[in-house]
Amino acid sequence: MNYLPMMIVFPLIMAIIMNLLHGKEKAVKYITFITAAILIILPFISQYGYYYFGGHGVVNGWVSGIAYLYNPAKQAIIVTLSLIASLVLITGMGEKLKNNMFVTLSLMGFASIAAIVLADDIFNLYVFFEIVSIVQAGLVFLSGTEEAYKAGLRYMIMGNVAAALMLLGIAFLLASTGTLNITDMKHYLLVDNPMIYGGLLLLIVGLAYGAGLPPFHNVKADLYARSKGFISAMLQTYSKFVLVGLMIIILKLFNGLDYFASAHAVLIALGVLAMVFGVVMALLQSDYKKLLAYHAISQGGYVATGLALGTPLGIVAGIFHAINHVIYKSALFLGAYIVSCKRGSNLHKLGGLLPLMPSVAFMVLCAKLAISGIPPFNGFQSKWMLAQAAMQVNMPEIAIIMIIVSIGTFVSMMKAFYLIYLKPVDEETLKEYQNKEVPKLAVFSLFVLTALCIIIGLYPDIVTNYLWDYAKELGVNYYLK
Amino acid sequence: MIMINYLVNRMDFQMASFITSGLLVIIGLYGVFFVDNVLKKIIALEILGSGVNLALIAIGYNGGTIPIKLPGVSVEVFAKESAYPLTHALVLTNIVIEASMLAVMLGVSIILYKKYKTLRSSVILKED
Repeated sequence: MNYLPMMIVFPLIMAIIMNLLHGKEKAVKYITFITAAILIILPFISQYGYYYFGGHGVVNGWVSGIAYLYNPAKQAIIVTLSLIASLVLITGMGEKLKNNMFVTLSLMGFASIAAIVLADDIFNLYVFFEIVSIVQAGLVFLSGTEEAYKAGLRYMIMGNVAAALMLLGIAFLLASTGTLNITDMKHYLLVDNPMIYGGLLLLIVGLAYGAGLPPFHNVKADLYARSKGFISAMLQTYSKFVLVGLMIIILKLFNGLDYFASAHAVLIALGVLAMVFGVVMALLQSDYKKLLAYHAISQGGYVATGLALGTPLGIVAGIFHAINHVIYKSALFLGAYIVSCKRGSNLHKLGGLLPLMPSVAFMVLCAKLAISGIPPFNGFQSKWMLAQAAMQVNMPEIAIIMIIVSIGTFVSMMKAFYLIYLKPVDEETLKEYQNKEVPKLAVFSLFVLTALCIIIGLYPDIVTNYLWDYAKELGVNYYLK
Repeated sequence: MIMINYLVNRMDFQMASFITSGLLVIIGLYGVFFVDNVLKKIIALEILGSGVNLALIAIGYNGGTIPIKLPGVSVEVFAKESAYPLTHALVLTNIVIEASMLAVMLGVSIILYKKYKTLRSSVILKED
């Protein structure tokens, strides 16, 4: 039996069950832990290859029905996704309110992202792209604050625009090729047809929205900033893998085609702009979660740029960076969550937390060094790989921008670390801190993620070995032309 | 009169649908970005979505034959003459998603209206 569809079916079923368990907190907690464990197992027991839903398959050489494709690269992505999802679910069980709705939305989000990554037809991709938009807004609403409702509503309004334009793009592709299956569609794309090109550009609009690239970076950053910290960890994971999923499809369809060149340039430009805008906005923030949110935007730019280069090395670097980023950024957001349980997130009102939770401070420092691209952490490995990929295609200016953005990241991260943990505070404030409880499950999750930052930093082949075959399949060696 | 007659004869159902679709998309985008009212923005989103749906239906249009295979009709003739149902499937799916989005957006608008006592988006959606 192939367990591949269970990666989508199982969390959706559990989401429905959770929705029915309103008010039964112990049952929710117990079932959530079990579900979290199963999510981690599923990617390992699924078969590689194509899966066709509904008993359809290849008929007369054409694919009929919804198709999924699972391979080592996608496995690496979904393993990371399931790990983050499980850790966040576990962390969420330490919260006092809204457990069942949180779990419901989280599981729907997991299913949606897994489907987007696995999708080999644009129909299914579009459906789950929409579902994850609603889920993300729903998760930010769980904060219950006025700012959260505003951020979520803004996100949904922009989401409707982006989704409508993306669907229009899909309509153009369908009109030009007669099919929505990606494997089939590829056969019809050799012709330089303005309708196809228009469809591609509109797909990129959807990509920019889903990933938080300009012009959607402010809306997305606000979404991260207004959620609870552990929910932000999951939201940014969703966005990163929507980016990877959509980019894989765009590369699979268009990479190497002559008319793709200028869209190629558009994608690279979006990535670079996201890098720069993200870090500049981050340097201006006095709210810690907002600062982290804009860094999530910035690092998303790295991923987009790497994938947009379109070479095998660029694709490996981009996916690898997405995986690394969701790990250390989740650690940072969990750290922010722990801090906010003590004292909110206004940097100018924080300080002196180091003596109270030295182990948390150490783990957060590791994550900050990881995001700054400093060895021996995982962020260094993928950023170095990204810079190499940029040099390889004769774009050293992109490599330079990457390094400068890393320096900016380091500066704002160290500033935040000082203001939260090292800055001296008076005795009365210190006593006030001590009464607040540290969420233990969040510390556990933070520990796991920090350990992963170090392990992957020391042994990057653990991840990259899974990525190369697919990257060679998708990638084109532009620099050899 | 001659020009009108010329246009009417040139324009078939599909082309008219595409033009209408384009107009709806433009009107919708204008409403979302330039109208200072949350409720009207949401209505504009519906107009935008309807424009895209109409484009999809028009793309699948093929002379008006509905895509239901009747007994006695050969597969070849059916495939050649009927409208393309895949676009209809996309539209149905999009309608469901739009309805969900609409419900959530209206719900949140109510919450924010109770707080701000206005529907002006420059007030409600203002970033802090």
